[in-house]
Amino acid sequence: MTYAANPKFAVGQPVSRTEDPKLVRGAGRFTDDINLPTQLYAVFARSPHAHGVIRGIDIAAARAMPGVLGVFIGTDIEAGGFGRMPCGLTAPNRDGSAMVKPSRVALAVDKVRFVGDPVAVVVAETAAQARDAAEAVVLDLDPLQAVTTAESAMAANAPRIHDEAIGNVFLDYHYGDTAKVAAAFAQAAHVTQLDLCSNRIAVSPMEPRCAAGQYDDGQWTLHVGCQGPFATRNTLAREILKAAPDKVRVITGNVGGSFGMKAPLYPEYVAVLFAARALGRPVKWANDRSESFLSDGHGRDHQMHAELALDRDGNFLAVRITGTGNLGAYPGQATVIPASANVVKNIIGVYRTPLLEVSTKCVFTNTAPVGAYRGAGRPEANYYMERLVDQAAREMGIDRVELRRRNHIPADLMPYGTPSGQTYDSGEFTAVLDKALLFADWNGFEDRKRESERRGLLRGRGIGQYLEVTAPPASEMCSIRFETGGNITLTTGTLDQGQGHATPFAQVAAQRLGVPFERIALRQGDSDDLKAGGGTGGSKSMVSAGKAIVEACDKVVAQGRQIAAFVLNASEGEITFNDGRFAVEGQADRNLGIGDLLEVIGGGLPLPAHLPQSLDVEHIAQTPPSTFPNGCHIAEVEIDPATGVVRVDRYSMVNDFGVMINPLLVEGQAQGGVVQGLGQALMELVIYDESGQLLTGSYTDYAMPRAEDMPELRFASHPVPATTNPLGAKGCGEAGCAGALPSIMNAAVDALSKYGIMHMDMPATAPRVWQAIREKAPAL
Amino acid sequence: MPNVSLTVNGKAVSRDVDTRTLLVQFLRENLGLTGTHIGCDTTQCGACTVHVDGKALKSCTVLALQVEGKTVRTIEGLADGEKLHPMQEAFREHHGLQCGFCTPGMIMSAVDLLNRHKSPSEETIRHELEGNLCRCTGYANIVKAVQAAASAPRG
Ligand code: FES
Ligand code: FES
Repeated sequence: MTYAANPKFAVGQPVSRTEDPKLVRGAGRFTDDINLPTQLYAVFARSPHAHGVIRGIDIAAARAMPGVLGVFIGTDIEAGGFGRMPCGLTAPNRDGSAMVKPSRVALAVDKVRFVGDPVAVVVAETAAQARDAAEAVVLDLDPLQAVTTAESAMAANAPRIHDEAIGNVFLDYHYGDTAKVAAAFAQAAHVTQLDLCSNRIAVSPMEPRCAAGQYDDGQWTLHVGCQGPFATRNTLAREILKAAPDKVRVITGNVGGSFGMKAPLYPEYVAVLFAARALGRPVKWANDRSESFLSDGHGRDHQMHAELALDRDGNFLAVRITGTGNLGAYPGQATVIPASANVVKNIIGVYRTPLLEVSTKCVFTNTAPVGAYRGAGRPEANYYMERLVDQAAREMGIDRVELRRRNHIPADLMPYGTPSGQTYDSGEFTAVLDKALLFADWNGFEDRKRESERRGLLRGRGIGQYLEVTAPPASEMCSIRFETGGNITLTTGTLDQGQGHATPFAQVAAQRLGVPFERIALRQGDSDDLKAGGGTGGSKSMVSAGKAIVEACDKVVAQGRQIAAFVLNASEGEITFNDGRFAVEGQADRNLGIGDLLEVIGGGLPLPAHLPQSLDVEHIAQTPPSTFPNGCHIAEVEIDPATGVVRVDRYSMVNDFGVMINPLLVEGQAQGGVVQGLGQALMELVIYDESGQLLTGSYTDYAMPRAEDMPELRFASHPVPATTNPLGAKGCGEAGCAGALPSIMNAAVDALSKYGIMHMDMPATAPRVWQAIREKAPAL
Repeated sequence: MPNVSLTVNGKAVSRDVDTRTLLVQFLRENLGLTGTHIGCDTTQCGACTVHVDGKALKSCTVLALQVEGKTVRTIEGLADGEKLHPMQEAFREHHGLQCGFCTPGMIMSAVDLLNRHKSPSEETIRHELEGNLCRCTGYANIVKAVQAAASAPRG
């Protein structure tokens, strides 16, 4: 057999994905596709009110309904010895005190705090029976006033959502040297200010959340779509089940998208496990989309006052961001990072701004908890900065391209230490900008504008030059097992939710070991396989798993060298390894490939006890630093002044993702990020009314981009390899959002500046734009 | 419970069902054909798209009893054994899917689109797919895949 790497699948090749033949046949295994023998079905009774004291939960009628085997409420879960929903975050308040962490029982016991808060779980023989019975649960509430915005939650007379959180403040975050920043602003020749909103998003992966719990003689199993079974298992074991980790198993099959939303542990998962133990049968639950809108973690919802201080020549002196993050009703499932630490890390971007200050109040409201959404603060910070830059350029009469160039961190200053404590290893920001201008035909804009105007349309162009600080990869594992017959199984603790890990991971391993790509399969998603695993999130998988794979391959080679020395009757020091072959130095004909070694081992040649007995390895890699993907996106929009409709007509991007292991998939990630950015910029907004009722509870009210809303997405690269990880890769998963928000909104404002409109918030929907135009040009 | 008899992927099937059973539930739960997905409850996402008597239809919005005697084709019935249908092949080749959850419905809609438009323009493709949501891909490669399938030789 030929057992060698085929250059067709080398690192850098656009190899199509190995999982796709299955997925295009509908043969994926998403959580709801799994049915466990004797399983029961769970449906949740949820609060119809946004805020209220629970007087009683009457489950008698539900319990008596046909097919119902159990109805459980929060006090049952407490009595059953389960822990409360965990909140792993710790960040100090600006005065040094610790942030408050109100606890949450999986099913609400004392109060309900948002519409959709689960209060009871009904378990029946069929899903339809469980649904019928859930409607018969009677919740007796003393309603309280609700607050749904950060501003109203902090008002003096606002109701308190959690007793511990005074003024409903979860975290009073601060970073920076207030006095120095103030001095810079005082000395500035010009200060640009904008009030900017990062609108609330329904994350909406197409696969709704789903879970199935099992309990068997002290052994727990949870089937669930998450972002990393290792961490999910550990949290579940330690915080909820109070069980040894080896008594808990988390299994994840295909995940139909997550974008941050499926990362935390949700109360429903706890409830199905509780019910499974109580009833002695597996219990499955699948969210309806209507429930997803209510109960999934939402994204964004920040309101910021953004300020940029410049000297006479347009050099940036300081940036200051002050505002709020609406965190929804509970900690734990919510995360403060997007509104706080990630603004700090990412607001510097590609510019030499020497000073920064970020102050954010993260507050509780009577809305669904707000968690991570693609980028988790990275796109927002880039959005704030790039909006400020365009605004400053307009106000100071400096060309927006020139203003950017003037403030770029020059490539020859790398590695560059930012005032937020990051060390950029690489990046050529001016070159990226120049390439993007050419690629987008920036100079041809005036002709296109005239053409648009002939058709009665406004036209604008916008730049979004971003840099993202990806998540520092957590320690990550890779095991490599050589199966009988020559197949190879890689196992990592990262978890695919559509990114396509299997293919690039195999490309790396095939190239490193000189083995056939087609023989390599990736195993993920079973906590029992894992000794470590940071999961997937924050654009870190290729970097963290990549490092683990490279190091694991090195271990395979080290073991192979020892065995090859024995087989070739040479000393270990004489053995070289090149292109997949072990050879005796200087005697190229005395050589063995990995395939030959496998045959030797498989053939039963007895190996001395001091040698490795196989090529199999299990490796845990230590954390490499964050990477700094960056790029420049240029959007051109057309706006119909008669209707306010904004349409992105051209979209061009140049990105630096370092070494792209598989450019086909990298481009796909960038495109996916851009569509989500376009959605946030122009269409998407979660709206609660004053009483806390969700008005955007279905796809009829919540607008998500469809094929027709998207322009052609033109993609080009300016790769500068990262120097801090062995593959030279930079995280690409969230970058599309970071480029899209500012480029599209800067283009919209550019078009509207014709009417003297200098600001437009996201989402720039037709009614908002139409209204803004009417205010400036009533006669139109 | 009433009985429903129909043809699914070329095979005659007959089952007793609860009257409120939706076609998508019938396919997934009664027949174990889990390739047809459920992405919403308001007929908006298209993840559940199948063909009924040769036409694309959202199986979440029709009762199993309503398809009595009809012929249903699901994503599982599209390939010719080992050989993928040209549309499946085009999605695979052009990276027209990421998580793959919208994909079965997207492919069933796209096949229906090509049944009605021999060589659709990009605009037509985008317009025709308005009933199918994808949160992952940005649609760029989906459009590319449909274009490729449209120009592939058809058997
Ligand atoms: S599940 Fe049928 S349209 Fe969404
Ligand atoms: S590929 Fe994930 S929703 Fe379309």
